[in-house]
Amino acid sequence: MDLLSNLALGLSTAATVTNLTYCFIGVFLGTFIGVLPGVGPLAAVAMLLPVSFYLEPETALVMLAGVYYGAEYGGSIASILLNIPGTPSASVTCIDGYPMAQQGRAGVALFMTAMASFFGALFGVVVMVLLSPKLAEFALLFQPAEYFSVMVLGLIAASIVSASGALRGLMMVCLGILLGTVGVDVNSGETRFTGGIQELRDGVSLVVVAMGLFGVSEVMVSLRGATKSYAGEKVRMRNFLPTPSEWGRSIMPAIRGSAVGSFFGTLPGTGQTVASFVGYALEKRINRRRAEFGKGAIEGVVVPETANNAAAQTAFIPTLTLGIPGSTTMALMLGALMIHGITPGPRLISDHPELFWGLVVSFLFGNLFLLVLNIPLIGIWVRLLRVPHHYLYPTVIVLICVGVYGISNSITDVWATLIFGVIGYVLRLFRFEPAPMLIGFILGPMMEEYFRRAMLLSRGDPMIFVERPGSAFLLGAGLLLLVLTVVPIKKIVQRLKGRLPMGERVARHHK
Amino acid sequence: MRSRGMISLIGPLIMLVAGLGFALGAVASLDLGSFRRMGPGAFPLLVGGLLAVLAAIGVVQGLRQPETALRPDPVAVFGVVAGVTGFAIFTPLAGVLPATGLAVFATSTAIPGVRWAHRLILSLAVSIAVWLIFLVGLGMPFVAIRGM
Repeated sequence: MDLLSNLALGLSTAATVTNLTYCFIGVFLGTFIGVLPGVGPLAAVAMLLPVSFYLEPETALVMLAGVYYGAEYGGSIASILLNIPGTPSASVTCIDGYPMAQQGRAGVALFMTAMASFFGALFGVVVMVLLSPKLAEFALLFQPAEYFSVMVLGLIAASIVSASGALRGLMMVCLGILLGTVGVDVNSGETRFTGGIQELRDGVSLVVVAMGLFGVSEVMVSLRGATKSYAGEKVRMRNFLPTPSEWGRSIMPAIRGSAVGSFFGTLPGTGQTVASFVGYALEKRINRRRAEFGKGAIEGVVVPETANNAAAQTAFIPTLTLGIPGSTTMALMLGALMIHGITPGPRLISDHPELFWGLVVSFLFGNLFLLVLNIPLIGIWVRLLRVPHHYLYPTVIVLICVGVYGISNSITDVWATLIFGVIGYVLRLFRFEPAPMLIGFILGPMMEEYFRRAMLLSRGDPMIFVERPGSAFLLGAGLLLLVLTVVPIKKIVQRLKGRLPMGERVARHHK
Repeated sequence: MRSRGMISLIGPLIMLVAGLGFALGAVASLDLGSFRRMGPGAFPLLVGGLLAVLAAIGVVQGLRQPETALRPDPVAVFGVVAGVTGFAIFTPLAGVLPATGLAVFATSTAIPGVRWAHRLILSLAVSIAVWLIFLVGLGMPFVAIRGM
């Protein structure tokens, strides 16, 4: 009964004309940027942040979330047609999707990815509905020490999955936390690291950091990169339907993919990319038809797409119940919530039920919109891939400028964004991926606050973090993750077995 | 080979400088407080110190296994910098829309193989889109074209 009344509340929030419109705008934009290789959901959400200030918090979140999961639908289209993943998590879809397209079965591949995405997303939403309230209830027992430790765990998880490796990821996290200390310290009122610059007293603006590190530096990397546009034949509706046996073959893999995806989405810091890789590797190990994998097997597109879409939905669980972002884009959404004056954490569901349940119901609408956008209207996106996308980058740069300028009509913010863009570009040159830095920047101030409070409660005894069982467990999990990454277990297993494990080959393909 | 090794060290060295900078800055100019009641400098000192240690490990790793840095693309950087700079300078002078057109044009000059006519059309189209979306649609308080 409780669940039904909550869903009814959600429906009344989500089914307004405004929220449905912004939900549609969100998923449309999400598919759009998902289709185009090079611009990810992160940059798109960063670009929409200033716009979201003009909206109600529910509406803003519904739109930003739509961009986030919409990109997972769009990402596979370029994977299948061009063998270039539109989003990082769609890179696994290339392995079987592109061979299918070469065999003239692009229509079937596109249709099945849309269906698989929808299935995975629904699975993820159900998991979210069942798990979030429980997790939030549990998290109400958290004290400052546990909050601090769960953030440490999230940051470790975020840095070890970073493309540039664990050590560099950790460095970027620290740099982000330090950047977050700039400005007035809330406890003492002292200014920190502002160098006497008046504008820095309120700290560095999240939008400026996000747009600079992701938007501007990403365009610098891609502006003159080799572009490839789709020159193949038109994809027709009548070539869409898979054979009945293909339907049958897809059911179990779809369920397994969704389950793997839901699990990895819920873990803080990991996300869709890890989910789709692990899902594919697992399926390849247990499926009877594993020999067909890599040559255009239908399971090979179904599994990663169910996994990454399920993960995209369950990533909202830690974000909304613990205030710990499930991925970098989620970190930005946390930032958006905080800008609207909403503190993410276990109280969010009880304090703002309309926000949480409205968002959940909007996921259902959004995924229905996406199904329409990706099956009957697939032609639009195929045509989009024919447009040489270097027209896109100058446009993106200007949208960034206008967006940043729009926050407070300040040209200083535009200059600051440019500076962060150059910093982000230089860091990328030296193989420092900026994503962990952004998570550190967003979580840093909260972490410091909880750290200081925990130390106050323990009367200055740092042992509080290991003496409280919850905190000790979380820190232990973080440590375990680190050890598992740093110690070359793969090599040890390889030496023991004298052969290459399955997952290895997939991982190589990715690089 | 030697120069390549040097390049792979620059990244961790930047991090080392940043970590030490924040840590020393905290010690020099901020109150550290006590364990029980931490001052504003304590947390930056801790994290800055941690960053410095991680960076030092990175330096050692870089010495043992040199890595290459990616090749920079000065033309792309110049194109983007020119676009953003153009926007920042021309918005107060002429309004958002002329600045938008100019910024798109400036950035697109860095892309090879695009016709000049296409660059002009793109600038115009994006300006109109910005006008429609941000000024008409969202009602943002911008000066569209100064003097109009």
